[in-house]
Amino acid sequence: MTFHTKLAGVAAGLAIQCAAVAAQADVLFWSTQARPVEEAQAMRETVLSGFDGGVDYQPNEDGPWLTRLQAELQAGQGTIQVLGALHGNFSAMNPDDLVDLGDLGIASASGTFNSLAQLGTDQLQYIPWMQASYIMAASKEALEYLPEGADIDALTYDELIAWTANVEEATGEKKFGFPAGPKGLKHRFFQGYLYPSYTDGVVRTFASPEAVTAWEKFRELWSHTNPASTNFSFMQEQLLSGDAWIVFDHTSRLAQAFNERPDDFVAFPAPAGPTGRGFMPVLAGVAIPRTAPDMDAAKALIAYMMEPETQIATLRATNFFPVVDVELPDDLPPSVKASGDAVAKMSGAADANPGLLPAGLGDKGGDFNRVFVDTFERIILAGQPIERVLEDQKETLAEIMEETGAPCWAPDAPSEGACPVE
Amino acid sequence: MTDVTADAVAPDARRAGRIVYGATVVFLCAWVLVPLYFLLINTLSSPQAVNAFPKSFIPAFDLGSLTFFANFSGMLNALKNSVIVAAMTMVMSIVIGAPAGYALSRFDFRGKELFRLLILLTRAFPLPLLALPLAVLFIRTGLDDTAFGLALVHTTLAIPFAVLITYSLFSGIPIELEEAAWTLGCTRLTAFTKVVLPLILPGITASAIFAFVISWNEVFAAAVLTIENRTLTAFLLQTLGEAPLHLKFAGGFILVVPALIFIFAVRKYLFAMWGIANR
Repeated sequence: MTFHTKLAGVAAGLAIQCAAVAAQADVLFWSTQARPVEEAQAMRETVLSGFDGGVDYQPNEDGPWLTRLQAELQAGQGTIQVLGALHGNFSAMNPDDLVDLGDLGIASASGTFNSLAQLGTDQLQYIPWMQASYIMAASKEALEYLPEGADIDALTYDELIAWTANVEEATGEKKFGFPAGPKGLKHRFFQGYLYPSYTDGVVRTFASPEAVTAWEKFRELWSHTNPASTNFSFMQEQLLSGDAWIVFDHTSRLAQAFNERPDDFVAFPAPAGPTGRGFMPVLAGVAIPRTAPDMDAAKALIAYMMEPETQIATLRATNFFPVVDVELPDDLPPSVKASGDAVAKMSGAADANPGLLPAGLGDKGGDFNRVFVDTFERIILAGQPIERVLEDQKETLAEIMEETGAPCWAPDAPSEGACPVE
Repeated sequence: MTDVTADAVAPDARRAGRIVYGATVVFLCAWVLVPLYFLLINTLSSPQAVNAFPKSFIPAFDLGSLTFFANFSGMLNALKNSVIVAAMTMVMSIVIGAPAGYALSRFDFRGKELFRLLILLTRAFPLPLLALPLAVLFIRTGLDDTAFGLALVHTTLAIPFAVLITYSLFSGIPIELEEAAWTLGCTRLTAFTKVVLPLILPGITASAIFAFVISWNEVFAAAVLTIENRTLTAFLLQTLGEAPLHLKFAGGFILVVPALIFIFAVRKYLFAMWGIANR
């Protein structure tokens, strides 16, 4: 390549740039959700194509998502029109940076979600957009090893441990899979499943004697867990490859297994402990940053996202369930049917003990998760004594709660002021 | 040791040496080729085959994964942006880096050592740290979301390599050659363009390839600083992290192939540079 052709290339490139800048008019939807290629593609082609005016749907990892948003907020002018993210992403932001959406007159069907969406202010900071949860799934090969008398839709943690032990005895391999990899959502299992099921709390009961029992049980479960779990982040992959037969994960991280081989897998509710069947809903929302260039278009897009037809299309695209009242059609993909059933059984169970997403932690949400991940690593991976680790981590947790002043959330009993670690 | 045994040992040792040499060559080739081959096989396999074990060594020519990307909106545009940004990065890092390398090699000036250190320091700050202030500045100056703005950032990342590579190349060319040219009627500039430049052209190509690869692989700045004009890496890599396995392979393949084609196209310049370095 000669120098001249290179120069010509640069000039041509600059010309194309200028043309492209002049042509942009679509509403920019800046999202941390529906990121996997297939979901992003479905969002563009089936969900957002119906919006007049055109939408530029851009899914991002959390780091670039937040950095770009902060840059626009600091510069005081932006291109991002609508934000799509998890409750936790929004709660880490300064409430002044999000436009009050109360005047849209749109809200989810759930009062809990609507009050979560206020992020501790008296304004609607984001509109609940879609929801999901974490469930269990198993390969049908594992079903014959279910302990006698156990009902797969009403398992207890003891039965789960016995089941995984049976499988290990029969096959000689540890076949329980747990998403403990770097991108795995293990902390949600402790916050929303293990702790509520054993201690009926998360923060207050963090270092209680019941918590010690919970970790002992988990250690027992871990002894039948595929040791490669510390590399697993999307359990659908291990279900499909057969590395794990019984798994716990986010519904959308199991979807591929059900969609590819619907007849080979079953979805079922999370197990129950002495204080009920703990489970945690996942909530995503849409919001408008104060720098959005065209408020009306942004609000129109949010209104469009909340229409029942759009919500059903979103369900097909992302495996996240609607937050408004809709009539679900019959022809949904296998993953939606399987996980929908499991979530319904879980939330409808007589012993259901829902744990909410951590609220009011602001930008300390990551530190809060870290406490649980560190506790897991020290107790389970490093084999340190449970009591000592809990006493240590308790200090960190108490500091976070005091610093943020976050009040208790369910299933912890309500508190006045910061939620105490007892 | 008698002469007889020495004669008997020598061919053995030579053969052992050849075997070690051959094994090393095979090992190094396999080191590079086997992962690429697996990438290719898995790209051309059905999702079931990708998840199966053991892996087949013969591709099944299932084009499902590639077809998915062919229909993925914005891919071609992103590919075009990647090429534009990488080309601009190449040109700018050479235009800025080569004179700096020449100056470091030919002139003595105060603070030369410090200057060399400072050049390396530009690599000391992680991009996620720099991206926020950069993005604010770019939005305010209008450089935001342009290939040129992103190329500026990538040039900054590539310059240390451009300077250091060209510096060592210029140092390898005797100053006497230039002096001879001066005595034969060349000015400083024509001596450079007629004598030195042809000699170091392969080296310039090498640092251009470095710049190209750096720009091609960079994700974070590209993801933050561009929106409409995303590069292929920013466009694909973020969505691949959580994609199903067969699409990860296909996406990885799509990211690798253009870079491979480019390096293949300029390989003769690279080999020429190794010739210089060996002399």
